[in-house]
Amino acid sequence: MKVRVRRVEGSPVVAVRLSLQAGAREEVLPGQSLVTGRMLAEGTSRRDWRRIAEESEGKGMSLESTGSFESIGVSVDALSQDWELALEWAAEILLDPKFPADRCAWTARQAAAELESLADQPDVKTAWGFLEQLYTPHPRCRPVHGSIESLLALTPADCAAFHRRALAHGILASVTGMVDEDAVRDRLTSLLGTAPSDAERYPEPRAPVGLGPRHVISLEESDQAHLYIGHLTVPRRHPDYAALEVLAVILGSGAGLTGRIPARIREREGLAYTAYAQTTAGSGLDAGRLLMYVGTSPTTVEQAERGVVEEITRLVADGIEDAELEEARAYLLGREPFRRETARQWADLLIEAEEYGIPLDDFEHRKAELEALDRPTVEAAARRHVHPEALRVTVGLPE
Amino acid sequence: MSSRLNRRRPSVARRHHHAVLEAPARLKSLPGEIRVERLDNGLTVCLLTNRQAPVVTSALFYRAGTRDEPAGHGGVAHFLEHMMFKGTALYGPGEIDRITQGLGGVNNAFTSHDATAYYFNFAADRWTEALKIEKDRIERLTLDPEHVASERQVILEEIAMYESEPWDSLEMAVHERLFAGHSYGRPVLGTREELLATNGTDLRDFHSRFYRPDNAVLVVAGDLGDDALDAVERTLGTLPAGAAPRHGPAPADVLPTSLVRLERRKGEVARMMIALPAPAGSHPDHPALRLASTLLGDGRTSRLQHALVEDEQLCVWASADLSEGLDASLLSFAAEVVPGVEPARVEARVLELIAEVHTRPPSEEELDRCRQMAAADWVFGHEKVHQQAVSAGLAMAIFDLGHLDRHLVQLMATGTDRLLEVADRYLRPERGGVVGWSLPKAGAA
Repeated sequence: MKVRVRRVEGSPVVAVRLSLQAGAREEVLPGQSLVTGRMLAEGTSRRDWRRIAEESEGKGMSLESTGSFESIGVSVDALSQDWELALEWAAEILLDPKFPADRCAWTARQAAAELESLADQPDVKTAWGFLEQLYTPHPRCRPVHGSIESLLALTPADCAAFHRRALAHGILASVTGMVDEDAVRDRLTSLLGTAPSDAERYPEPRAPVGLGPRHVISLEESDQAHLYIGHLTVPRRHPDYAALEVLAVILGSGAGLTGRIPARIREREGLAYTAYAQTTAGSGLDAGRLLMYVGTSPTTVEQAERGVVEEITRLVADGIEDAELEEARAYLLGREPFRRETARQWADLLIEAEEYGIPLDDFEHRKAELEALDRPTVEAAARRHVHPEALRVTVGLPE
Repeated sequence: MSSRLNRRRPSVARRHHHAVLEAPARLKSLPGEIRVERLDNGLTVCLLTNRQAPVVTSALFYRAGTRDEPAGHGGVAHFLEHMMFKGTALYGPGEIDRITQGLGGVNNAFTSHDATAYYFNFAADRWTEALKIEKDRIERLTLDPEHVASERQVILEEIAMYESEPWDSLEMAVHERLFAGHSYGRPVLGTREELLATNGTDLRDFHSRFYRPDNAVLVVAGDLGDDALDAVERTLGTLPAGAAPRHGPAPADVLPTSLVRLERRKGEVARMMIALPAPAGSHPDHPALRLASTLLGDGRTSRLQHALVEDEQLCVWASADLSEGLDASLLSFAAEVVPGVEPARVEARVLELIAEVHTRPPSEEELDRCRQMAAADWVFGHEKVHQQAVSAGLAMAIFDLGHLDRHLVQLMATGTDRLLEVADRYLRPERGGVVGWSLPKAGAA
């Protein structure tokens, strides 16, 4: 178990995050992580879902349990006067879920309905196609929901099994806000110290291979075309991660409409309302992706694709300018205070820091990491991780 | 552009030159110390000092939105918001964003029916750059015809984006029907035809009428030094006044007198929105109605979620929301139906649950839970200085600063009798409202 506690001045709130380090990337049955995570708050040995909801909402708490690609867990946001209850309830829900059959069936059905709803959104449907194109057969190739069929086949035993094995991957805990750090640490240790971890850890998932270079998705009801272009890059802990963050800002993930992709696609050519670029989208334990997105008219989608590919080719061939590097560095450093403004941000940041073993909470470390980057280093990272000849394209086109 | 714009005041205005508006040193609804002043040129300045993090939000609100647009030029307020980033005499196209980025900040803007806002989030040692930008945008906005044409195309794509989204398009249709004949029924983005009919002259006219200091509220929130007000005076304090008078509240008085139906076919999932007219945000009934909205749709224990989602499992989710407008507000109930469930059953059940508020009043325990949730939601929603600045700015631009405290205090004081009294006035779909459905195409006859 790893515990991080931090007093954060400001609003009188406490944020509790408890996380088990296994998620959809480990699951055997698609959707198992999502449903197991959500089922944590659906009943424990002591209380059913109704009582959990009534008691937490009676205190004005926001209590949620979730399952994602890399973890399942509980988050509680409460007024700081209720910090002890928040800890007790979070621990109860994480360690002692009962997975009642009727709630499991409903949670799975609800998730299946969400999947159908998401499929109604043209940009989401196209994004799923892009993930499939890049990650197949890795679990990231599918939505965290899995499929309607896999969700409806899940049983309480599947959830209990996933939970038991997830416990073997270890607990991460963060508590932040206007609290007494020592008191919180003591209480957390007594609540979580005896968590069982006798199950076998899950094996690593299969490596991504991907599909062909081009994928066209037919959209029934859209006036717009949705264009995703990119390829896989690096996981979160990769030494080139910071250089790729700089490249992302230069390409189009910075302030407003800055960056080469939005500047060309939106500002100069007026082709889109939304155009952006990322270089480490979804990076975590597994590789993230270079991703350029444009939502544009079907009549201009080819022009947009040409523009994006030219900008990527130019980046690798001609490199970057010193001014671009300085601006991107200043932007990334300037964002740091805004990532640690509230108790809830701190709680999430500390969990992420523990998850990847990176001192994300240490501003000086971040500053040194970014200041160490010079133009040749960033350009070398671009040559290593940005490959115009290997770009894959998914385009969603109205029927 | 009016010639008054060329009148420049000397930049030596001292504090005694402007009025200190009545304002408490602290609000119950927001953390930090607050100071409100009005400069000689009419600009209202709100300094919200809160040193929880070394950051500052500078947010400038104009009392101009969709409700202020001239006939035939719907969307001009939003169009102008886009153009405010496309160049001034001092800052070329895209340069405002580049400067923001180079200083490690972010910026953005939004347009509503009642107001338009522009904000910058910077580290505390460099936020005054925002003031220079705002000054030049008021004084010397370029509106280059080529950029106007290019940005029009961008907004046409934005319209296409919203129309493709099932919930966005349903919501716009419901608003249009409920507030037919009132500006709140018009889309903030305007229509394609209106955009094509709007040119640089129309944008310039709107800018000249409303983008003046005497029609604006500046909120600066965060880790402020003692010289914050001087910095504002030196830049924005030199601008001349001269805004056109804004027309006062215009109640939405042509409303449906029965529950009007609206159906569309889109996607594979049934989505429902019921919209009822509600009083303006400043109306004394508004806080109690917000508590009624919490009772019905906020949290797993709320009546809609408990019945429709958790117990009867008819909907994937259900919610209630109350907007806060200058002329009127909108109380809405939304639900996404589980595939296979008959939509008519959901509609009937939602209407039953709304009606039940009158026949099965909330217990004291239920009401207390609603108050706790509303109070905690407020705290969670105002942890960041940016959120504090936006709430303070909208309150001052549309109502007044005291609005926030009044609303929160009245909400927390609402008891069963008061809630029932207000419910009797507004939770009456049969007296007028819109029920809008986005139904699966597969079910079409």
